[in-house]
Amino acid sequence: MREFLTSQLGVSIVLALVVFGVMQGVVAYCIYFERKIAAWTQDRIGPNRVGPWGLFQPVADGLKFIFKEDVIPGHVDKPLFLLAPAVIFFVGCIGFAAIPWGGQWLLNGKLLDIQVANPDIGLLYILGVASMSVYGVVLGGWASNNKYSLYGAIRATAQMLSYEIPMGLCILVVVLTMGTLRLEEIILPQTSYWLGVIPQWNVFLHPLAFVILFITMLAEANRTPFDLAEAEQELVGGYHTEYGALKFGMFFLAEYAHMITSSALASVLFLGGWHLPWWSWTQPEATHLGAVLAKMLVLSLKIVGFIFVMMWIRWTIPRFRFDQLMRLAWKGLIPATLALFVLAAVLLYLGRQRDPAWALAVNAATLAVCLLLAGSRRREVTGRAANLPAVPAPRAGQWSAA
Amino acid sequence: MSTPTAYLLYAVFALGGVGLYFLLPRGRDTRTGAGAIFGLGALAALLLVLAARSVAGSAQAASFYLFSALAIGAATRVITHRKPVYSAIYFVAVVVSVAALLVLQRAEFLAVALIIIYAGAILVTYLFVIMLAQQSGEPSYDVRAREPLLAVVAGFLLMATVAVRGSEIPDAPAPAPRKLAYLTGSGADRDAVRSPGEASPGARGAAPASNLRQGAPGAEVEESNTLALGAAVMTRYVVVVELAAVLLLISMIGAIGLSRKRVPAEGPRADHAPLGQVGKEVAPY
Repeated sequence: MREFLTSQLGVSIVLALVVFGVMQGVVAYCIYFERKIAAWTQDRIGPNRVGPWGLFQPVADGLKFIFKEDVIPGHVDKPLFLLAPAVIFFVGCIGFAAIPWGGQWLLNGKLLDIQVANPDIGLLYILGVASMSVYGVVLGGWASNNKYSLYGAIRATAQMLSYEIPMGLCILVVVLTMGTLRLEEIILPQTSYWLGVIPQWNVFLHPLAFVILFITMLAEANRTPFDLAEAEQELVGGYHTEYGALKFGMFFLAEYAHMITSSALASVLFLGGWHLPWWSWTQPEATHLGAVLAKMLVLSLKIVGFIFVMMWIRWTIPRFRFDQLMRLAWKGLIPATLALFVLAAVLLYLGRQRDPAWALAVNAATLAVCLLLAGSRRREVTGRAANLPAVPAPRAGQWSAA
Repeated sequence: MSTPTAYLLYAVFALGGVGLYFLLPRGRDTRTGAGAIFGLGALAALLLVLAARSVAGSAQAASFYLFSALAIGAATRVITHRKPVYSAIYFVAVVVSVAALLVLQRAEFLAVALIIIYAGAILVTYLFVIMLAQQSGEPSYDVRAREPLLAVVAGFLLMATVAVRGSEIPDAPAPAPRKLAYLTGSGADRDAVRSPGEASPGARGAAPASNLRQGAPGAEVEESNTLALGAAVMTRYVVVVELAAVLLLISMIGAIGLSRKRVPAEGPRADHAPLGQVGKEVAPY
């Protein structure tokens, strides 16, 4: 038993159970923080009745989800209606498997990965899992047999498929720079320093890719300003209108789990993962238990930072209109990331892929070209003006005096 | 492959074909029970034939049988289910099972690419179209298969050819277990991992393939599957890949051309125009 627990497989299993358990609690507290941050933004107090500072509110919410009547409306397609929350929850949970949480742990003379699985294609695994989450949305929306749900599902699908492309291209920029698909190996080069002080995080190489990745993360998680799939004013609740009790809770938990996974991925890709500069415990050489815990803490803090910004944005930026959303993806982000991707490939060819001056120059050039093109082109009239009836063209002999 | 095994395989496929014939929807006459019995029998017989041929008993073999049974069962449901949405979902199950089989063959990149491209994008679009088209009722072409007998015979011929000819290829030697770079690597290797750009400044301007390999961790670690696949695609098969890309581009442009609506630049609005003129007045790009 003791040998098994200290082997790589044992560590992986224990870590999977711990991460899964902790994640459920963290996700519940995400909802609490969402409400608290909303309250601060709007100069309210927020939940403060259950326990000190309302800290037991998530427990009460969770109990309420469990003990509510589990209503399955008539006219729904029952198998798919039940399958949808299961799919989205399952997919939201298994994405954590490839995240490197704490570097390596030297135990009984063996180096163990603090990672559930370290596949050759860790990055693609997370992408593939994330791309499956659209099924929960689509099936839930269709099986509900409700027009609002279907509209929500259609919007969500189009949006997630569109924003997957710039997201993938941003990730490919990092892959080109690092030359590997293994997340742990993407972190390791980022732990060196330029001039002995500046950490070699990828965000300092490709800031534009980082910002675009963050935007697409918001869209993939259906967060404001991209939450058209559940726009309350237009669609009641979107694809989960017909869901109640724990099935709704699973949709909710899956959304936050998705946010956490994508934040962890962005931290690993651009912010050095578990690396905190100038703290020796978070260097890859430190492999004692304290270092592992310190690395876990650092990565968690980065994730919390991302989630805070996401929640902050939710109460700051209003929702897009759907055509604006599509235009941003197809005419804005995809050409920009495509250009960045090609330029990153050129840098790789020249052998300059980890050279900050060249990478920053490439980013600045891409941004400048995008801004110039956007500024020089005539803006299309959209929305209300485009829907006004056109003035009929004068026929021959008619209105000639005018 | 010995002749008796080949005849055994033919018999198994025939059994499966009979099951499939019964399972294909034919309005009220569909004999689901008989089809299920024949189909499950065929599946069991197939697994027995395969198990007798290979080394059974390992965990990998168990996973292989599990996922292949799942894939075959789900594939049957793709063509026998009456509701197109369910067919699409079973198709997703087929794709995921096949991806699992690819993982068992150590083709992780192909597996994940299959999931991202097929399950994550193409099938979602299918599902999307089906959902918008199939709001209510079951049209006749979903309730009744058009040519069940012909389809089953054609499928039998294809399967028999592919399986029996394909199994004559000798088994590839089992791939050696890979080593994890920074698990086994010494300190020097880990430094090399950390800064691939700085580790070999002399290699700048070299061929791109060697640049790619700089990222490969440690010299004593064998090449990863993904790296080898990428190198093969970009060197040996580069013409084929480029041709496929051009073909896809052409089909995309064709789809845009076909689906583009007539949008007059000026003049009367499109909905006042007479019917039957869609696509005629499109200005060139």
